[in-house]
Amino acid sequence: MSPGALVVVETHGGRVAASSLEAAGVAARLADPAGGVTAVATDAAPEVVATLGGVGVAKLFSLADARLAAAPVAALAAGVLAAAERSGADTIVLGGTAFGRDLAGRLAARWNAAVATGVTEVHRTASGLEVKRPVFGGRATETRRLDGPRAVLTIRPHAFTAPSGAPTPPTVETLASPEVPAAVLAPRRVAVEATATGTGPSLGDAAIVVSGGRGVRTPENFRLVEELAAALGAAVGASRAVTDAGWRPTSFQVGQTGKSVSPQLYVAVGISGAIQHLVGMVSSRTIVAINSDASAPIFKVADYGIVGDLFQIVPALTAEVRRARAH
Amino acid sequence: MPDFSLTPEQESLRDLARKFARTEMAPHAQECDRTPRFPEEIYRKAYDLGLMNLNVPTEFGGSGLSLLDQCLIVEELAYGCAGMTTSIIANCLALEPIILGGSSEQKQRFLTPFCQEYHLASFALTEPTGGSDAGAIRTRARKDGDGYVLDGEKCFITNAPHASLYAVFATTDPAAKHRGISAFVVPRSAPGVTPGKDEEKMGHRASSTSTVRFDGVRVPAADRLGAEGEGFSVAMRTLDQTRTPIGALATGIAQAALDHAARYALKRQSFGKPIAEHQAIQIKLANMAQSVHAARLLTWHAAWTIDRGAKGSLESSIAKCFASDASFQVADEAIQTFGGYGYMKEYPVEKLLRDAKLTQIYEGANEIQRTVIARELLRGYA
Amino acid sequence: MEIVVCIKPVPEAETRLRPTADGTRADPDGVKFVLAGYDESSVEQALLLKEAVPASKVHAVAVGPAPRSEEVLRAAIALGCDSATWVDATADTADDGLSAARALAPALAGLPHDLVLAGKQAGDRESGVFAAALGELLGVPDFGFVTDLRWEPAAARFTFRRATEGGVERWESPVPCVIALQQAWNDPRTAKLPMILKSRKAPIAKVAAAPAAGPSIPVKFELPPPRSGAKMIEYKTPEEAAQTLVRLLKEEAKVFP
Repeated sequence: MSPGALVVVETHGGRVAASSLEAAGVAARLADPAGGVTAVATDAAPEVVATLGGVGVAKLFSLADARLAAAPVAALAAGVLAAAERSGADTIVLGGTAFGRDLAGRLAARWNAAVATGVTEVHRTASGLEVKRPVFGGRATETRRLDGPRAVLTIRPHAFTAPSGAPTPPTVETLASPEVPAAVLAPRRVAVEATATGTGPSLGDAAIVVSGGRGVRTPENFRLVEELAAALGAAVGASRAVTDAGWRPTSFQVGQTGKSVSPQLYVAVGISGAIQHLVGMVSSRTIVAINSDASAPIFKVADYGIVGDLFQIVPALTAEVRRARAH
Repeated sequence: MPDFSLTPEQESLRDLARKFARTEMAPHAQECDRTPRFPEEIYRKAYDLGLMNLNVPTEFGGSGLSLLDQCLIVEELAYGCAGMTTSIIANCLALEPIILGGSSEQKQRFLTPFCQEYHLASFALTEPTGGSDAGAIRTRARKDGDGYVLDGEKCFITNAPHASLYAVFATTDPAAKHRGISAFVVPRSAPGVTPGKDEEKMGHRASSTSTVRFDGVRVPAADRLGAEGEGFSVAMRTLDQTRTPIGALATGIAQAALDHAARYALKRQSFGKPIAEHQAIQIKLANMAQSVHAARLLTWHAAWTIDRGAKGSLESSIAKCFASDASFQVADEAIQTFGGYGYMKEYPVEKLLRDAKLTQIYEGANEIQRTVIARELLRGYA
Repeated sequence: MEIVVCIKPVPEAETRLRPTADGTRADPDGVKFVLAGYDESSVEQALLLKEAVPASKVHAVAVGPAPRSEEVLRAAIALGCDSATWVDATADTADDGLSAARALAPALAGLPHDLVLAGKQAGDRESGVFAAALGELLGVPDFGFVTDLRWEPAAARFTFRRATEGGVERWESPVPCVIALQQAWNDPRTAKLPMILKSRKAPIAKVAAAPAAGPSIPVKFELPPPRSGAKMIEYKTPEEAAQTLVRLLKEEAKVFP
């Protein structure tokens, strides 16, 4: 059988997550043309099917099972593997999200597959897949060979672009409800609250992140950071000093004990750049630092630096961004 | 063959002290130095983590650390702030006379409370008219019924305004000189005990230093340590134990000075390159590194000698004297490396020089240490 | 409650990373391995639960080589864990989350566990697959990215939140379960000196891991070229700084939205 690749599709409110589209791009590269790219989703609404058609998915396995709606991610493993067996895929690709991460470990253990998460490069070799991924908070990269017949990958957000082409609607096959142990179905999700990262994109997903630190001085002043983020269409982040002080919830925290982000553009406002923070953002593509202290360590990792009073620089920058984007 | 490697346990103790010094002490060092301020909240935290009363034996609830273990901790603490370290280790100095000279009942009574909750104690030996000449003590202890009445004044007493207990050295017979001295444990609450106001000091400004007056203070005989007339011996044996950690404290200051200087030298540019690439600065740094290394090894060696049960007077005097002189020189060279910035209070190195100075003076001035060293040395030739 | 907390020794944060001579891995020579980051938080979480739920015990486990595994277990005991098990395995086994879970799972079968705690990921390879793999191998549910973990004694279940791309989810789970904590919403305590001394004498149960050739083979470990430092933007007015930056982001970095 020609090896194919299966994408596990994450949907939120009937929309396919951007990370799943990126995963489809990776699957397309890895799949033998004969094997093709297949996908599995718990939601096979027409909009989902159409979106997947646009990124080259030839076949969609629908895992519409009411029991799974509020069950742990773990409960999906049996269904996903059933799809993998049906499609003949030797590789499962997931987006670089909480959903993808949690499912990847399950799938690998269950499928007896090699696993790699946060992958930024991947290609086939004679003996299996070779992947590259950042480690140590982006301070280094490792290359690994995934030996054996099967592999599970999650990809780093923004490391791959979603394919685009003439949309061909995939065929849809509905899978039988998989057997899931009662223990795994026992926990329940009882509510979903709005993400506490404001109105913009979520931190892990965003292509641009604007973070504020101690230099912002008061919780009220933090709106300067948020206004700049809004102008850029960015997610808002914060250093540990800010979340420790309670100016913003811990869900905003970027760093060793918070979120690791790797956006296209990271703007650090009033952040000195403690190692704690740096490991969470150093693998961003372009880093801008605005700080009053020219010797702040953040300037060592930044691509562009502005030394000055953030209370003057940031409003001016917000205005300039708005002007530039309006044109 | 000697083995200079630390055990995993010693590394853990050092790591604890290092983390505390860098996260709890150092961030407040400059403010406490400038104001000046006695940061009791930091001392309480040190107590909570077990970083005080290091010398109290385990049977009284202490950690009973070896002198080498104590030195590892003290060096790290001093790296964070020498002044705070002086206050933190003052209890070791004040409780050592009880450990060395107390009966088991006295040890139980006086030491146990220190291991149950936070208290400070002070070692009250020095007097306005005599520091190093401990035999010339004027504070009187007059026999009165089954106890004593103390009269006199002590000065330069670390933590005195905050202490709940004093180890006091007083004479029952001035004519007998050092043979007339006895050691007493006096609670702060005893009527007639009056600490003076904080002295304004050159360095160690996070620590508190004052006089203590004793005016007709009644002390029961049960609170005398050892026999009458044994006080001088208790004081000297105490200092034999506590001298070596002063070497560690000085080493901590010196290491901090070297670290500041080396980092600055790599960053600061002159004549188109970092000053660390100029030979004049490299020679300075190399000399500083030698001094720090030698100070540390002499301190470890003295502690090792005493831990093996030897008196170690020579070794501890060499360690204290060398490390404190080295500390002052290294701090001086650190300032010189910083140039004009080093002279500014905004930069950390001038404090190190002020702090290092005291290590040449207290717990036996270096002149006394050299006297001891020479005496021990010449004994071998006579 | 019987709580098992899984920890992994990682190089301390200040470590200067460098590849081994053959270029395949991070060189462990001279590196100090510590209990750090997410693992510090999960030990703290275990201890908080122990303090909140009467008659609880915390058992620390680590998979990996000597002496680093034993050292972090002693650090966990010094913080207040009651006992410890060391699964003796190679660094390569410990480094692959799936292999580590396979090495550990048999040892856990013999240990009572209502809750198995782990960090979201280890601070070195940051795979974050260990907890989910362990959940699968133990046949119990697992949850990653968890915050605000609480025990409801009346209902005999945990409640917690998960920060995901779809929003912040609120969950209820009976025991047993495996939970990987998102971040330090607690403030990890510091081990006290007497506990450090005590931990040195504590017994550590040693279990040999079944030899398992990992399917994930290290090929190359690389450090990024040193960043040359920021291009500092010179300006006379804040407006000029803003204009220059936006132009550079557009024309040079090509990341302006």
